[in-house]
Amino acid sequence: MSDSAQIAPMHSGPATGAAALAPPPPAHPPAPRAPRARKPALRFLTLPGNVISLLVLVVPLLVALYMSFTDWSPTGGSLLEASFVGLENYAELLVYDTRFVEAVGRTLFLAVVCLSLEFTLGLGLAVIFLREFRGKSMLFSAFLTPMMILPVVVGYTFWMLFQSNGPVNQLLGALIGMQNVPEWFRSAPFAMLAVIVTEVWHWTPLFFLILLSGLNAVPENPVRAAMILGASPRQIFFRVVLPMLKPVIVVAFVIRGMEILKLFDEVFMLTRGGPGSSTETISLYIYKLAFNDFQLAYGAAGAFLVLIGTLIVINLMLLPVRDQLVKGKA
Amino acid sequence: MTPKLSLRQLSKVYPGSEVAAVDRIDLDVQPGETLALLGSSGCGKSTTLNMIVGLEQPSSGDIQIDGQSIVATPAGKRNVGLVFQDYAVFTSMSVRQNLAFGLSVKGRPKAEIARAVAETAELLGMRDKLDARAQDLGGSELQRVAIGRTLVTRPSLLLLDEPLSNLETAARLAMRRELRRLQKEIGLTIVYVTHDQIEALSLADRIAVMSAGKIRQVEAATRIMDNPAHVFVASFLGDPPMTLIRGKVGGGVFRADGFALPLGDIPEGIVTLGLRPQALRLVAPGEGALTGRLSQVEPRGAEAALTLDCAGKAIRLLVPAQTRPVPGETCGLSIPEGALVAFDGDTNLRLPGAPHVAEAAR
Amino acid sequence: MGPKSLTLAQRLILLVALTVTMFPIFWIVMTALKPPTDWNAAPAVWLPSEPTLVNFATLFDPDAIKAYGLSGVSQPATPAILGSILASVSATALSIAIGLASAIGLSRYAKMTKWTPLMILSGRMFPPAAIAVPFVIMFSATRLIDTYAGLIAIYVAVTLPFSTWMLKSFVDDLPREIEQAAMLDGRSRLMAHVTVTIPLIKGGLFATTMFIFILNWSEFMFALVLSYSNISTIPVQLAKYVTATAGTLYGVQAALAVVAMIPLIVAGYAIQSHLARGMTFGAIKR
Repeated sequence: MSDSAQIAPMHSGPATGAAALAPPPPAHPPAPRAPRARKPALRFLTLPGNVISLLVLVVPLLVALYMSFTDWSPTGGSLLEASFVGLENYAELLVYDTRFVEAVGRTLFLAVVCLSLEFTLGLGLAVIFLREFRGKSMLFSAFLTPMMILPVVVGYTFWMLFQSNGPVNQLLGALIGMQNVPEWFRSAPFAMLAVIVTEVWHWTPLFFLILLSGLNAVPENPVRAAMILGASPRQIFFRVVLPMLKPVIVVAFVIRGMEILKLFDEVFMLTRGGPGSSTETISLYIYKLAFNDFQLAYGAAGAFLVLIGTLIVINLMLLPVRDQLVKGKA
Repeated sequence: MTPKLSLRQLSKVYPGSEVAAVDRIDLDVQPGETLALLGSSGCGKSTTLNMIVGLEQPSSGDIQIDGQSIVATPAGKRNVGLVFQDYAVFTSMSVRQNLAFGLSVKGRPKAEIARAVAETAELLGMRDKLDARAQDLGGSELQRVAIGRTLVTRPSLLLLDEPLSNLETAARLAMRRELRRLQKEIGLTIVYVTHDQIEALSLADRIAVMSAGKIRQVEAATRIMDNPAHVFVASFLGDPPMTLIRGKVGGGVFRADGFALPLGDIPEGIVTLGLRPQALRLVAPGEGALTGRLSQVEPRGAEAALTLDCAGKAIRLLVPAQTRPVPGETCGLSIPEGALVAFDGDTNLRLPGAPHVAEAAR
Repeated sequence: MGPKSLTLAQRLILLVALTVTMFPIFWIVMTALKPPTDWNAAPAVWLPSEPTLVNFATLFDPDAIKAYGLSGVSQPATPAILGSILASVSATALSIAIGLASAIGLSRYAKMTKWTPLMILSGRMFPPAAIAVPFVIMFSATRLIDTYAGLIAIYVAVTLPFSTWMLKSFVDDLPREIEQAAMLDGRSRLMAHVTVTIPLIKGGLFATTMFIFILNWSEFMFALVLSYSNISTIPVQLAKYVTATAGTLYGVQAALAVVAMIPLIVAGYAIQSHLARGMTFGAIKR
């Protein structure tokens, strides 16, 4: 900014009528503010956000934490009267509750399988989108569509597609001549496969989008330098481009990882965790504990175990790129 | 001797563009020579570099290395190294991995790579930095890595794109010395592109001055300043550059608007007259060939760059600082032998002969 | 290195990917247009034998479907649709207003530490089913349960990290000097932000608003556990159709699904260049 802009208030300030009528300046005179002095002012802007987060997120979390150390249930009176059982709920979950342990294992399995597939497919598509072709921008929009659709609708749509007399089975019969088409939601492995297909369809676009924006931001010259040094397109991609994408890849995995560890909506619509509990995710199990079986305290303990696990995993993933995130660029 | 690099009628016309970015240029670079391609931005020098290294295909013409055409050879197989202006170091790798890259992608044995990397690191004084991450390095270190990464592959020709322009002054001077040392030690043939004439003059054996896609003059660095062959070269080189006045010679007098100077040894017709700033002398008013008013005085340490207003023409000259010129002062200007050059008004090429101020006016 | 064109294999991959992407959307839209006889036919009917809007009509008038000899649904979807609009629009407006203040505060007057990103993310890591439990308790005590006010409060809190960080990334893109000039002009800092900062991030403000709307409109679990009879949203209504009469009202459900996704697809396309920024809390800008 020019000198004139900084000088302006000294001339214009006292000259204006409003300033002349104003009472004499109190403790801090309205002198031109030095950039250094600006820091603490207007801190209050973040106040409403902090208060809301505190009231609506932190307080319930603390309530849930307290509850997880009790044997409270909605039929047993006030939470404050519930007896304190220490770590009993946690011990029960980890040691005796095979359904919980299985849900954790299943959710991790889903996370690994879905994220690997989404990453691979998204990267493949993104690489194709580095080329120029007709209709590219329309195709780009088309490929993003799934991630805009609400999870409940996605779950319902795939529930229809995977009906035993639905189009998926019809295609399996017509295209590969499959005779005994599966009853998708009556067989544990097929139900799991349906969940995976649904998740991958829904969220591959996110990987595609993030990786494509990362690829587009890769500087040209290192790629050219590698080319001149005799690297093949394959070597350039795996040894030069992909390492430069690392922060972007980590961001994509962290964001998607957090969401899939909470997976609920699509599975609720697709399988309700069935058959049996064969597709039950952590969120679904906790939901059933709390709202079907009314074991609220026990469910809260499960949730905290999940939170601790998630915090550790995500923190480890973030470590290598934390500096870049703080600077606000990736 | 076969030139290391030959460009033959090399042209590049970008699709959709009417004007050639590079226009039928011819150039020979001898083995072990350092040649600077000098010109302002957009003159076609970077395009030329990109064609030599294989990042762009020429529209017509030929590029030869050791007498062999390389136009059909892909970029990675030409054995030509390029150091980018922004270095383009692989920031995700260590210095060692950067240096090893060129050999490792070619699948050379590990021992050979290690030896070559060690040698190059020694040469560039980077032995203790081999395990540093490239993203932690500073400007001149990045440049060393970029140069080293190329040298490891033993290129027959090294191209440098504005090698010093991203460095701070101190690092730039050090790097300039370094480049000269490297060139001597390993006898490389180097072509580099720059817009900075000081850099070109101090580093290159010969300088090729480019403008508008054409090479205007190729000359030894030691001679080009005093012997411009083209009006563009005269206007581009020197600080301050020559004063150029376009006018007409008739009856032994050069005239341009109100400006007149009787001259000898100059053909009749339209010419551009060049006056060398270093050769001109300030004298008392009334003495000398011209009289004018000092409109600008720019002190430059031991010297001062002056602008003298003579009949509407601004003439630049360089005088010792102790002359203590005062702006607004009226002065005479003496034009000694050798202070003038003349260029053809149509072709802009240097005219033969040594124009000088006619006796009568001296 | 000019941009290259596609190989045949790449064209095929794109074709397959496009088909797979579009097929489920095609199916749900077609189902919404099918008369009841086509809904669950075996083998599956791909194109409606007799395209009809009766499924959409049934959403608003439960008796419309009786023309096809079915008994009709128990209640119209109108309250759920209105409920979704009320909850999403109010929660989005509040989330944006509070998020905007926080964004300016964080961008201009606060300092980030290396723990900040983790703190933002932590809020997103907790399984919503677990936060829902204390909410049910607290809201029951304060009579906020089964009210839109309660639902909106949760939506605001849940989307606040997204709106704050997405907006902050837009404010960060603005050079501070622009506001400083206005501040030195004699205007107060707050006025400088209102008259200079906010107009300059109009585009980002719009994108963030759309993005937060998408999040709110899609939310399912909180609405599921906090609504009994007074309130409803489209996702809850969709899930209820499955529970109550699974398999029998495909077409009506599909019609509701189409109604639910149209605003999201419109909003999504409108801000597609900013979707990555929203999903990544501003970490990825394009």
